[in-house]
Amino acid sequence: MSSTENAMENRVSASPRGKAVPRVKLGKLFGSEGNWSHYIQPALAFIVLFGTWELVVRIFNVNPLTLPAPSGVLKVLFSDFGFYLEHAGVTLKEAVIGFSVGTFVALIGGVLMSHSRFLERTLLPIAVLASVTPIVAIAPLLIIWFGFGALPKIIIAAIITFFPMLVNSITGFRSIDQNNYEYLRSLHANKLEIFLKLRLPNSLPYLFSASKTCISLSVIGAVVAEWSGSDKGLGNLIQMFSNYMQMEKMFAAILMLAVMGIVLTTLVRFIEQRALYWHSSTNKRNG
Amino acid sequence: MTYITVNRISKKFKRRDQITEALRDVGIEIEQGTFVSLIGPSGCGKSTLLRIIGGLETADDGDIRVGGVTPIEAQSDKQFGFVPQAPALFPWRTVIENMRLPFEVNRKGGRQTPEQSEEAKELLRSVGLGEFLDAYPKELSGGMQQRVGIVRAFASGAPILLMDEPFSALDEITREMIRYQLVEIWEKHKKTVVFVTHSIREAVFLSDKIVVMSNRPGRISEIVDVDLPRPRSHELEETSEYQRYVHHIKGLLRERWEQ
Repeated sequence: MSSTENAMENRVSASPRGKAVPRVKLGKLFGSEGNWSHYIQPALAFIVLFGTWELVVRIFNVNPLTLPAPSGVLKVLFSDFGFYLEHAGVTLKEAVIGFSVGTFVALIGGVLMSHSRFLERTLLPIAVLASVTPIVAIAPLLIIWFGFGALPKIIIAAIITFFPMLVNSITGFRSIDQNNYEYLRSLHANKLEIFLKLRLPNSLPYLFSASKTCISLSVIGAVVAEWSGSDKGLGNLIQMFSNYMQMEKMFAAILMLAVMGIVLTTLVRFIEQRALYWHSSTNKRNG
Repeated sequence: MTYITVNRISKKFKRRDQITEALRDVGIEIEQGTFVSLIGPSGCGKSTLLRIIGGLETADDGDIRVGGVTPIEAQSDKQFGFVPQAPALFPWRTVIENMRLPFEVNRKGGRQTPEQSEEAKELLRSVGLGEFLDAYPKELSGGMQQRVGIVRAFASGAPILLMDEPFSALDEITREMIRYQLVEIWEKHKKTVVFVTHSIREAVFLSDKIVVMSNRPGRISEIVDVDLPRPRSHELEETSEYQRYVHHIKGLLRERWEQ
């Protein structure tokens, strides 16, 4: 009798309610379920990866000209962190401005092309042409035209962003729910109202999905453009250190790029979680 | 007073080289404040007729007047509360924000202001959705979503409600419950309703007048006045008068089918 009572008591004290409180708070902080294993597991994976790398370099005494140890890379990075940060800032600015410009132009193009089959048939082939031409081939040309400054890098980052954003915005503007569309029509809503109330919000999931790829593509675009001719930026550093075989410094610049990519995509994901609260893709609580 | 007049309209759809005659010489008159159902087999053009009245499609021939003006003019004056088959709720808006939608667009046509949201809340409460004002559509069941769609039409200030098989996507039990709720709201507000349905029992239960249609080409075979007492509740469905109407309309539809 008393043992069953104990069991009951245990069950009550272990009810999900007691645990739910901290969970919800963490979920709000991190924009996800707030399950610690979500953060611990990737962290462990990184520790194992870089630990193995470090051990391999030390045990086999690998030539630093082939592969520097992570500890050496970090030492170089933090001994002159301001220097790397400054160049990272240059590349980041080029990438983010390029991404914004590319997105903006793509949205305008998307509005025009989703409203007119004529414009789509005329303009889309040009957009396709720009997207299939390798960026590496266009970069030197833009350097000749616009010099060593930020402009050609911004253009390259914008071109690389433009096409995926365009295609996704057209799809997003068009793939509206027919019932919702007819409902607005029955109220005699004009085209602008239909766009603002229905097409634009409808396109957000598509635009965020494209943004997640494009934001890292824009960094690639900026770096590739820096290789073609520049005096600043992480791409410029990597090329320079590669010429002088300064492996640790080169890895330090690469590490900065990797971190930049992670920060940018995480930022986009974070904004997406906030903006698409209504969308099934962010529906974690109700499964 | 006759509010909607449909005078000998015809409509053909051309798809590739195939021409379908959706409506031929269809005419009806709808009194203000009455509940009128359009019933008939699929393909009889009942939805098309509804859409033409609402200005969502145009007739090839004939004349339609809604309160003395054309459907498009009535539409721009926000005379229609439309309830399509699937609930046209915008997923990024909460229930109450969806209720506000008809006031936000086409402002020049709207005489009403969103102060009416008290009425909106009252209507939502009356169909058991009082606690879901700030819920998103994905958090509601299909039946709850369609109830929001119906209540939104009542709260939009539109004098005419056009319902295009609003219950067709719902299961039988939900369907019946919403039918009772609809009749209750309607008997309170007395708007002019044009209601498209497949269900004979539904049509008899809800309507003042039933327009029975036949297909290929879509035509009116008979207009039945339903002379059953109001207010109506589920007990009505047990009465013999109700059954007689159901049998009569079933007979009309079968007659056409057997020809």
